[in-house]
Amino acid sequence: MNRFKWFYHPVFIFAFSIIALAASLCLYVYWYIGVSAGLTSVIQKYNLDPSQFFEINTWVVILVLSILVGIILIGVFVIFIYNQKTWQLYRLQRNFINNFTHELKTPVTSLKLYLETFAHHDLSREDQIKYVRYMIHDVERLLNNINRILNLARIESGNYWKDFVEMDLVGTVRQFYQNNADLFRNCEVKIHNPVGKPLYYPINPLLFDMFLMNVMTNAVNYNESDHPRVDVRFIPQKKGIHIRFEDNGVGIEKSEIKKIFRIFYQVGNQDNMTATGGGLGLYLVQQIARIHRGRVTAESEGKGKGSVFALTLPRRVQVGG
Amino acid sequence: MTGLTLKKRILIVEDDGHIAEGLKLNLTLKGYDVMIAPDGPAGLREWREWKPDLIVLDIMLPRIDGLSVLRSIRLHDERIPILILSVKSEPEYRVKGFSYGVDDYLSKPFNLEEFLLRVERLLTRVAWNGHAKKPEEDLVQEYHVYTFGGNTIDFETYTAHCRQGTLTLTEQEVTLLKLFIANRGKPLSRSELLEIGWGYTGTTSTRTVDNFVMRLRRYFEDDPHSPVFFRSLRSVGYVFDHDLH
Repeated sequence: MNRFKWFYHPVFIFAFSIIALAASLCLYVYWYIGVSAGLTSVIQKYNLDPSQFFEINTWVVILVLSILVGIILIGVFVIFIYNQKTWQLYRLQRNFINNFTHELKTPVTSLKLYLETFAHHDLSREDQIKYVRYMIHDVERLLNNINRILNLARIESGNYWKDFVEMDLVGTVRQFYQNNADLFRNCEVKIHNPVGKPLYYPINPLLFDMFLMNVMTNAVNYNESDHPRVDVRFIPQKKGIHIRFEDNGVGIEKSEIKKIFRIFYQVGNQDNMTATGGGLGLYLVQQIARIHRGRVTAESEGKGKGSVFALTLPRRVQVGG
Repeated sequence: MTGLTLKKRILIVEDDGHIAEGLKLNLTLKGYDVMIAPDGPAGLREWREWKPDLIVLDIMLPRIDGLSVLRSIRLHDERIPILILSVKSEPEYRVKGFSYGVDDYLSKPFNLEEFLLRVERLLTRVAWNGHAKKPEEDLVQEYHVYTFGGNTIDFETYTAHCRQGTLTLTEQEVTLLKLFIANRGKPLSRSELLEIGWGYTGTTSTRTVDNFVMRLRRYFEDDPHSPVFFRSLRSVGYVFDHDLH
């Protein structure tokens, strides 16, 4: 059965239909020329008036045929491209489900492990508290994962266009850092604002918080440095505000820089099971930037050289409405 | 029985800190000596240096995945009991694990009691077989001498009789040869060779692999420029193969 697999492969079918189409065009032309040559000889034999038969020029017929075949070709090509895209998305989605199962099962495993331990052993109060904290943390991990999926659904449905509030961006970032200090326990976070005064900008606080959560935790999670650090720089520009999140983490391979924002995309290799991340975070980041009419880009000197995520927000535009 | 007086050592290779610590807690309460390695390379290092009696291995690990760790260990030690503990529960992963020589496979989330009993059972088996810590003996039995083409490799004395005459092989050359022999006829990618044969990944250049294969060719091929045994596979890596006599 396996031997015939190539036969069903879309590339093969595509190539085959193109060859068939090209062959049929050649045959049309060949026959047409043959028939008209035959006709000419008949006309000459019986001394008929050629204009009666050749009102349309041979070349016009060939041209029309070619255009029609060309249109069919383009149609086939478009279908082919769509098919490939659908497959790609399907594969990505399958990868994503595989990986997301991992993200969901890991905290559940941990929870179950500690609950069973409690059922079997009498631990000291101190230990109990320590492990209960772990369990709370695991529950939070689970919740975060569930929220990411729900947020994705909400963003995709486009229900976020209202709820924009004029807020100080620097203050928001600082507030975010203070609220989530436990996530950055081993990490040095510095906020640089050369202007020294608040930068007001209309944002959706909930979405912006999600943006910060994804970008900043990535900087910490994908960091193998002994002293992880994140520098947040606010750079006011003529055209708007530029915010840079610079980290000294694992960096991004040049070939990956554009791909990382794709939905379900994971850095690493699915086959050798070093793929990491849920493939949602940066997609959300990009969508949130778009909702704010901004743009987010990634920069990195390469693997192991840290990375920069830059958010560019355009000069005050009326968002929403 | 000296085994009773000595605490059995268990190495946990697991990247999730909470799970690793939970396992450690339970195994320690059972009276085992436990160590945690958070990624593939650390796992391999601890296996070599700390010499555990049993390894609990996760598959999805940073840097070097669990299956490569398993294969790497099995090149040197056929006997040490290894239990895979993974989120991957599909039969294909189980089959893969067992084909690479794992002793037991549990999928997460697992039942704690079952896990502890399985660990105990694996260690009891080793105790029956007597010596747990003489891994070299198995290899000697298995590969004592390996012959292909006009070459003979003696894995006990690390010597090779080949077209260059008799020469002494380095530890790394022997490891790589074992890896090739264990996978005779199967293509091995450069990163596989690097991960399993050397035990590290990423930034280290795959050129290292090329250089070593060149060296093996010089030793064992009649014409190193048109190799018969250690062939290159375009955009894949290398394959070792030869006719059986």
